[in-house]
Amino acid sequence: PQGDYIELHRKRHGYRLDHHERKRKRDAREVHKRSAMAQKALGIKGKMFAKKRYAEKALMKKTLAMHEESSTRRKVEDEAHEGAVPAYLLDREATTRAKVLSNTVKQKRKEKAGKWDVPLPKVRPVAEDEMFKVLRSGKRKTKQWKRMVTKVTFVGPSFTRKPPKYERFIRPSGLRFTKAHVTHPELKCTFNLEIIGVKKNPNGPTYTSLGVITKGTIIEVNVSELGLVTPAGKVVWGKYAQVTNNPENDGCINAVLLV
Amino acid sequence: MVQYNFKKITVVPAGKDFIDIILSRTQRQTPTVVHKGYAISRLRQFYMRKVKYTQQNFHEKLSTIIDEFPRLDDIHPFYGDLLHVLYNKDHYKLALGQINTARNLIGKISKDYVKLLKYGDSLYRCKTLKVAALGRMCTVIKRVSPSLAYLEQVRQHMARLPSIDPNTRTILICGYPNVGKSSFINKITRADVDVQPYAFTTKSLFVGHTDYKYLRYQVIDTPGILDRPFEDRNIIEMCSITALAHLRAAILFFLDISGSCGYSIAQQAALFHSIKSLFMNKPLIIICNKTDLQPFENLSEEDMKLVMEMKAEAMKTVIGQGGEAIDEEGVLLKMSALIEDGVIAVKNAACERLLNQRVELKMKSKKINDCLNRFHVAMPKPRDDKERPAFIPEAVLEARAKEAAEKEKRKLEKDLEDENGGAGVYSASLKKHYILANEEWKEDIMPEILDGHNVYDFVDPDILQRLEELEQEEGLRQEEEADDVDMDGEELTPEEKEALAEIRRKKSFLIQQHRIKKSTAESRPTVPRKFDKDKKFTTERMGRQLSALGLDPSLAIERARGRSLSRKGRKRERSLARGGSDGDDAMDMDVDQPSSKKLRMRSRSRSRSRSRPPGEVVPGQGFKDSAQKVKAIKLVRKSQKVRNKDARRGDADRTIPTLKPKHLFSGKRSLGKTSRR
Repeated sequence: PQGDYIELHRKRHGYRLDHHERKRKRDAREVHKRSAMAQKALGIKGKMFAKKRYAEKALMKKTLAMHEESSTRRKVEDEAHEGAVPAYLLDREATTRAKVLSNTVKQKRKEKAGKWDVPLPKVRPVAEDEMFKVLRSGKRKTKQWKRMVTKVTFVGPSFTRKPPKYERFIRPSGLRFTKAHVTHPELKCTFNLEIIGVKKNPNGPTYTSLGVITKGTIIEVNVSELGLVTPAGKVVWGKYAQVTNNPENDGCINAVLLV
Repeated sequence: MVQYNFKKITVVPAGKDFIDIILSRTQRQTPTVVHKGYAISRLRQFYMRKVKYTQQNFHEKLSTIIDEFPRLDDIHPFYGDLLHVLYNKDHYKLALGQINTARNLIGKISKDYVKLLKYGDSLYRCKTLKVAALGRMCTVIKRVSPSLAYLEQVRQHMARLPSIDPNTRTILICGYPNVGKSSFINKITRADVDVQPYAFTTKSLFVGHTDYKYLRYQVIDTPGILDRPFEDRNIIEMCSITALAHLRAAILFFLDISGSCGYSIAQQAALFHSIKSLFMNKPLIIICNKTDLQPFENLSEEDMKLVMEMKAEAMKTVIGQGGEAIDEEGVLLKMSALIEDGVIAVKNAACERLLNQRVELKMKSKKINDCLNRFHVAMPKPRDDKERPAFIPEAVLEARAKEAAEKEKRKLEKDLEDENGGAGVYSASLKKHYILANEEWKEDIMPEILDGHNVYDFVDPDILQRLEELEQEEGLRQEEEADDVDMDGEELTPEEKEALAEIRRKKSFLIQQHRIKKSTAESRPTVPRKFDKDKKFTTERMGRQLSALGLDPSLAIERARGRSLSRKGRKRERSLARGGSDGDDAMDMDVDQPSSKKLRMRSRSRSRSRSRPPGEVVPGQGFKDSAQKVKAIKLVRKSQKVRNKDARRGDADRTIPTLKPKHLFSGKRSLGKTSRR
């Protein structure tokens, strides 16, 4: 059959004599079938169905509530928001009293406390045996001075290994990353930016020097594609970002830009 | 070139369903159980397998999609153009390209994560890496889901395209909307195209097949074309233009000379001249349709002039082809699809022209020479100058001549029908030519069923003869039988007859009994178990047990014996013993031994069973009135029913006949475990 043969047949012969009846009954049966399925489905299938169905029901309830809203009358909310000034005071500048501290004092306090204004001020400390894996070397495999890093690292483009015989810390190439998914906190969008370097790892200076990236590490990323410009007119091409996930568990580095 | 079959493309699933399918397949087909304590290599392998398996499945499914959808450059340009017109080549290519990128991306993801999994040192780490990998693959597919939806729609539409072979003999029908193209194709082929009075009823190409001179021709019906500049044409008109442009076919340009399509002949002629460039090298025939509404001869001067112009154009194509002088009628034909006048003539003309053109082309091409070398019609070399024509005997010639004459003279049934009023009015007498023994039997009504049997089962032209034969056979057989030893015992003696009757009676009785035994539980009366089957509870046993306890059993035995009433001829010892037990009041009951009959009359069971009407109030029983008593009786019966059905001897009977009935201890459950019964 060619073309829209189904519609053509319908146009010429119409529907079966019992078509509408059967359709109506079939649709009515769907309700029972669905409930039987919901009750009998076991395992992962049942869970997925339950979740989907729950979402559907929540939506249904919302639409029903919305439809019912129009029939009731409500008081109009007309409150003035905080700090609203009546019209006859509009031109005057009212000063809100607040404690104004000088910036320098604030900075000194932060430095003393060791806290900086970053998205993740505290992170879980990573122990050394979690970070390094001991590699045995030597003819009898008794020497244990070599360590392999088990977390994600960044090594930079001009990196060459030390001769393997003298290499104490091995950073496997499978765990070396060059790019990070950086989110701009205000624009709320994510970019895939290149890492320029590791600025500070909160677990210690050894890790910073090795370039290990764990959760909470501050990295410097190349933001030239964002097109940021300083007030002076210079193009900003590097900014700091803090890592927000565990890269060794997710296979990618997610960071938040520090503006 | 890859062969494409548009109707056999696999269904393209939607984005969400695609993900569901693949993930559930991974869950089912890979091992699911893993524990923290396994060796690390085993853990890694477990998760790597899942990632790889998912990637392979995605790859497979996406590859089938990419391979099955036709590449617009690889197929015949007619189809390529048609698909471009319908689906927009760029959009189509983009969609397929996106699917391809998705496939590559998924491959890359899988490779990266398998590499990372090699460094996983704990179950948790490997598991999160696998989750991340599968999640990323699914996001790729989610991003691509609009393309999948588009491809599914394209596939559905493509499957319904008519299967047109671009290389075979084709006849193409074109013209303004509503001129009668679909009616024409309905008449000559079996294609059932919709015919309606409004324009653009046909919205796409339709194909029908017809035969001419033992060859099959494709007839393609196109949607109508309006006279517009090329850029303004919509998709429907572009379908026809594509067909006109790419198919090497005979073209039938339809002209509505009555103007009932809503367009004048001038407009139609204008259209003709604007698309005549598409008619190059194709046999063109101009068809004037709807001659029933407007006969061709009555056309006005201007219209006739326009038509002649078109005919001249068409003649040009003829001359351009073969240089043969085709008669003018082969170019301009008149027909009416409604009254079916001239339809066959048109078809024949079109097929003939097309065939000639194709044969000519083939002869001219190089390929034919290879074939021609193999054909060789051998003619015998003439021996001498004598003429030797074919010899046809005189009789055959005469017969042929006579047949020809007869054919003209013979009256057909169809003519008879037409004379007598047409198809609905006249019904032919089918029995006219019957060959029967007696001519008068022709119009007789023959019954078909008699007494519940088919008459034809019993009718036989040779039936009399067969009857004779049978009777002969029967006679022979009977003689043979008479020769045999005569048997006795065929006749039954009266005693034997009686015995037979007796046997039969007994048999029917047995059958009845069996039926009763086989009856259902509801109709079967339940009889409680027999008490004391083994006859263990005797008075001797009671006596032994009592004496073992140190009591004197004799009185108890006497009392027990006395309570069994169904004994005849009780002696006086019983009453004496009773009197003895009283001690002080030794009442000597010196009554006569009552007769057994009187004893029976006075027995307790007898007193109870003396017939009274059911509701009668007996003074000592404690009922207010008859209704209350009836109700009480009913209550009693109701409470007893359940117990009796269970075949319990009384309320206190708690025995369980079967401790482990089979139906409670066997059987499987369809859903769930059978750990509780």
